[in-house]
Amino acid sequence: MKAKDLMIPLVKYLKPGDTLKEAANLLSAARRREEKGGVKALPVLDKHAKLVGIVSIGDVLKSVYPGYMYLMDLGAFSWDGMVETFARKASGKHVKDIMTTDVITVKEDSTLMECIDHMLKNKAKRVPVLNTENAVVGMLYESDVFYEITRAMFNKDKGRTQ
Amino acid sequence: MTLETVTRAELFFLDLPFWIATAIFVCAYVLIVSEKVHKTVVALFAAGLMLVLKVLEQNEAFHVEEFGVDWNVIILLISMMIIINLMRPTGVFEYIAIKSAKLGKGDPLRIMVIFAVVTAVLSALLDNVTTVLLITPVTLLIADALDVDPVPYLLSCAFASNIGGTATLIGDPPNIMIASKAQLNFMDFIYHLAPVVVVMMVVYIFVIKLIWKKKLVTQDELKQRIMNMNEKEAIKNPLMLKKSLIVLGIVLTGFIFHGMLHFQPATVALFGAGLLLLLSRTHEPHHVLAEIEWPTIFFFMGLFIIVGGVVKVGLIKWLSIQILELTQGNMFATSMIVMWFSAFASAIVDNIPYVATMNPLIIDMAKQLWPNLSGIQLLQHPDLMPLWWSLALGACLGGNGSAIGASANVIVVGISEKAGRRISFFKFMAYGMPIMILTVAISSVYVWLRYYVLGI
Repeated sequence: MKAKDLMIPLVKYLKPGDTLKEAANLLSAARRREEKGGVKALPVLDKHAKLVGIVSIGDVLKSVYPGYMYLMDLGAFSWDGMVETFARKASGKHVKDIMTTDVITVKEDSTLMECIDHMLKNKAKRVPVLNTENAVVGMLYESDVFYEITRAMFNKDKGRTQ
Repeated sequence: MTLETVTRAELFFLDLPFWIATAIFVCAYVLIVSEKVHKTVVALFAAGLMLVLKVLEQNEAFHVEEFGVDWNVIILLISMMIIINLMRPTGVFEYIAIKSAKLGKGDPLRIMVIFAVVTAVLSALLDNVTTVLLITPVTLLIADALDVDPVPYLLSCAFASNIGGTATLIGDPPNIMIASKAQLNFMDFIYHLAPVVVVMMVVYIFVIKLIWKKKLVTQDELKQRIMNMNEKEAIKNPLMLKKSLIVLGIVLTGFIFHGMLHFQPATVALFGAGLLLLLSRTHEPHHVLAEIEWPTIFFFMGLFIIVGGVVKVGLIKWLSIQILELTQGNMFATSMIVMWFSAFASAIVDNIPYVATMNPLIIDMAKQLWPNLSGIQLLQHPDLMPLWWSLALGACLGGNGSAIGASANVIVVGISEKAGRRISFFKFMAYGMPIMILTVAISSVYVWLRYYVLGI
């Protein structure tokens, strides 16, 4: 099993100039395989289709979280409606302002273990998959790796009982 | 005196170490001001050069009070940082800030005034950087709650911390350094500087009310957000809070009586830090110690050695002779020059290297004036005392003059920028410089009136 066998082929992606509102909409509407609606991250490609960043739902959470709250324990003193106010303010921000630019990627021919190695060591739960020309061909999500591991466990059990 | 000192001064020029030390000193200070290389790196490298080029012997740099590291300053700073690092997680500072905002009943201007007073008092007891790091996040939260511009609050926080820090020995690093060199105690600072700081704060509050009155308005329903905050939720660890407050009480009592008990301030602080570490039952003190601002500590160490080098070769002595010739030994004129020059110098350069240089300069001036005296009789000669206070007032208050004048300002501007509200260099100066001039003017009148007219 290689990265390219598990990845979701690239269909939807973000552009640096997209507003946060558009990005959030795309994240929640993008379809992954059959059943689920929404993805947890999308790559950001510039006009030459070059990978320049990644936006995850965590980045969207950060975009409404004021930086000063990292400095002290102030969560208990927030008020109802605070997030909504900040969300309205953040909706006009651009993808390039909130994206993570230091992107962890895997190659399409990487083995599953190499993918897990990248994911765990870099705490990256969603990684773009690159082909030999360094173009993004898909996204590998932590949950798909998890399903693959589950499948392997079942296969093993099957093997024993037979 | 003049003729003899000039010939003596000229002798220095023949000396190779004099030029080596002066070159290292000047290059280091230029690099520090330029900010091309981190100031701690510059200070440590220049200190290393002073030793390698044999301007100073290692023993002098490490163990001789006149030329080397002032361990009283270093240990006092480290100890206070340990105490504060242990106190922070208790939530006491969040409690104080939220309680203050509620005391202001959600009124933006009242909150601003109360925050200015709280910041000034905290700055007098803790160092300024710590104070603004503790106050600004809450300030930004309150401004968001009230939907008002946070910039006036942030500026006020920086100004109040620089004014408040002037009041005590531990309030601002210049005072710690001056106290150590001049062997002044905690109560000397309270007695000589706190009264004028109180006057300045009263004037300052009047000024901020005047400037911001019309600009800071909010709706009544937003005030309710502040009133709904429950400050008691801030307290995370009541037991540790009790222990911290007891230790802080012991340390402050120790500071008040350290002169009488013949303890150095660092002794008091070190005892407090050790006691609180013990009471905190920290099995692994690593993280508490790691949070000490080591770059600042090493900056101090490097500077002490650099300045020790130029003291040893006589540069500082030569400068002191020049100043005395300029003022003709008139102590009032010298005080005023020291105060105003210190204020403007501190607005441009970090006041820590500035005071590190000025301290030995003032001692050398005293040696020229009273060659037969030594020790505490020389350092605390009644005619010299106004000079120390002028230096402290100028160096501490000068910090308000520009965005880079004090570390607290740099922190405030940085936090403000992260919150999406950039305070430009000139915007800071537009408010800070008038406040600096106003407070230094008040200090000048105070020094003149108290020491040269009333003589008390």
